[in-house]
Amino acid sequence: MQCGGGPPEGNSVTEPVLQVEGLSVDYEVGAGTFHAVQDVSFELHPGRVLGIVGETGCGKSTLAHAIPRLLQEPPARIRRGIVRFRGIDLLKLPRWQLPRVRGTGISMVFQEPINSLNPAYRIYDQVAEAIRIRRLRESGQAPGLVSPQEPFDYSKPKMPNVGEVLLKPLVPSKGPASRRPMLSKDAQDLRATVLEYLKLVRINDPDTILNLYPHELSGGMRQRVMIAIALSGRPSLLIADEPTSALDITIQAQVLTLMKELMTEIRTSILFISHDLGVIAEMADDVGVMYAGHLVELGPVDQVYRDPRHPYTKGLLRSAPSKYKSEGPLPSLPGSVPNLSRLPRGCPFHPRCVLAHADCTQDPGPKLTKAVEAAGPEHLAACYYSKEVPGIP
Amino acid sequence: MVVLIVSVAVLVVLLPPIGQALVGHPVSILPYGPNYYPSPCPTRIVTTGNYSYPTCTLPPSTEHLLGTDNLGRDMLSRVMAALPLDLAIGFVVTAFAALLGGSLGLVAGYWNQPRTIKGAISVAILRLTDIFLAFPSLVLALAIAATLGRGTLPTVLAILLTWWPYYVRLVRGEVLVVKHQPYVTAAKAAGLSDLRILIRHVIRNILEPVTVYYTLDVGTVLVTFSTISFIGIGVPLDVPEWGNMVEYYQTQNLMGIAPWTILAAGGAIFVTVLAFSLLGDGLRDVLDPRSRRALAQAAVPTTVAAPAALGEA
Repeated sequence: MQCGGGPPEGNSVTEPVLQVEGLSVDYEVGAGTFHAVQDVSFELHPGRVLGIVGETGCGKSTLAHAIPRLLQEPPARIRRGIVRFRGIDLLKLPRWQLPRVRGTGISMVFQEPINSLNPAYRIYDQVAEAIRIRRLRESGQAPGLVSPQEPFDYSKPKMPNVGEVLLKPLVPSKGPASRRPMLSKDAQDLRATVLEYLKLVRINDPDTILNLYPHELSGGMRQRVMIAIALSGRPSLLIADEPTSALDITIQAQVLTLMKELMTEIRTSILFISHDLGVIAEMADDVGVMYAGHLVELGPVDQVYRDPRHPYTKGLLRSAPSKYKSEGPLPSLPGSVPNLSRLPRGCPFHPRCVLAHADCTQDPGPKLTKAVEAAGPEHLAACYYSKEVPGIP
Repeated sequence: MVVLIVSVAVLVVLLPPIGQALVGHPVSILPYGPNYYPSPCPTRIVTTGNYSYPTCTLPPSTEHLLGTDNLGRDMLSRVMAALPLDLAIGFVVTAFAALLGGSLGLVAGYWNQPRTIKGAISVAILRLTDIFLAFPSLVLALAIAATLGRGTLPTVLAILLTWWPYYVRLVRGEVLVVKHQPYVTAAKAAGLSDLRILIRHVIRNILEPVTVYYTLDVGTVLVTFSTISFIGIGVPLDVPEWGNMVEYYQTQNLMGIAPWTILAAGGAIFVTVLAFSLLGDGLRDVLDPRSRRALAQAAVPTTVAAPAALGEA
């Protein structure tokens, strides 16, 4: 189950920031139960970027929202699984504890920059709100489950158990001496920090932007502000849920360049969700391919793209437009995505798969395992016949 | 256009209280108090059919701008004296209803998770609201007022008890819309607690429709209050109030011989309610960007066309 190979330095003892094990999410609606995410497992190591790619409706966004538990429950229901964020199982945390993890532990950048800012407040207030929360937690005046000061210190030998965490927040209170007026009361300082974060996301003229309302900004600018808000909590995990899908192509390139630059500046682990294979190739270290709620392939980006080991990935890559092969129609996968409430037995891809054999239709379907003859040990695929995938024309 | 509507509405609303402040003042612009009647009062002879009799009702004149009633009391003074009570009731009763109903609506809309304790509370609030909404509000208010007996406070209570359910419905609906907005999810992702999101993000974004509804509602409450008084189970007769003035003069059969008494009180209700209605419309135009844009677009052709039309003429 080891994926990603640890941090770039190759230090194998580091603990993953995020471990997802057997996560299954259903939507219970009138028409039936939709299995949006089924038995998804992966690990994300400090400083790495994991891209999740898949077509519309494959459960990427549900997965992204399930990790910080931002799903509307009901209709969504997390059936089973473990989401261990820095040693804390988020699925076992009581609901009222969750805000303590969000913002300073896990933050998110959303798909819709248009509506993700509150129309009633100026940009300054919205960025300052996130910074204020972080400062309250740093100063020990408000509890946070995760210390925001040392986001990459994973040397703690034992995992804190949930009960212990509930009683005593990880951020120690500094006692009455620290109850002197908060840093955030110093408006000048807060303003300077807000400006700093707006500059970080390459906003020209941040002094003017501060006093504007969201509707006065363009989509790209709003998404930059959203990124600034997400980063201002200094999270150890940033979840970017299709951050560029709602933007037009030139703005998309700008925002991606920005995120790429920020990744080298701030060593935050990132879970990057996208339907765009090119974007994932550009941004991510590792890639997970999702199909009908299942994670079908997982591995380092270059390996997965060069040598896909799941027929779905192969088909997906083949159907991407390329500037080298411009002749003839684009190849496409036969058939269509199955209805998530009536998934086929066994491997969800078998009805469309050229390699499908009788055992592919048997429950339980193939698990994510080390791909046979794959270039590296981190390359996993959920296919019994992954050996034969390179042979598919 | 919008500015004009709002400023007219504000003036119509604000001027009477200023005038009223002067009535109660020792140096009053009005020569008479609301219950001052001269004894013996100046009379005139009225002839109806075969009968002729003296009456104290004097038609409007420079001395009595709205005339006098059957006891010789100055109608302008009485109408003005009723204004603080009527306005206070309009504003305060609606405000209490909005606060009570609004808070319940916030709870019912924000914590509506089924199969939880909070969800059960939410359902309980909504069913209670339904029970109150099942009765026509005026009938329920009349029933409560009749039960509690005649007086100002019982009438206020009666209206308050019937008025809050509308705000539960309004606020709950708005909360349900706002709480599924992406910016609320974004606020959650930023680490805000539920309560903080409710206070900072949800309430701020439902204020506009509630303010508009409140303003329009002040007029409605005023009419209801006057109606209860008119039927004779509201404010006692010695308290100047527009509704009971209309009732009293009507029982004294003044419509035929001195219509100005009834028209003055009824006109006061009409003007005030109209003012709140205009204020509410104006506020909606100002606060709701969509209707403002619609107004601006509607205004453009007229301003462009006007000079051309003038030139042709």
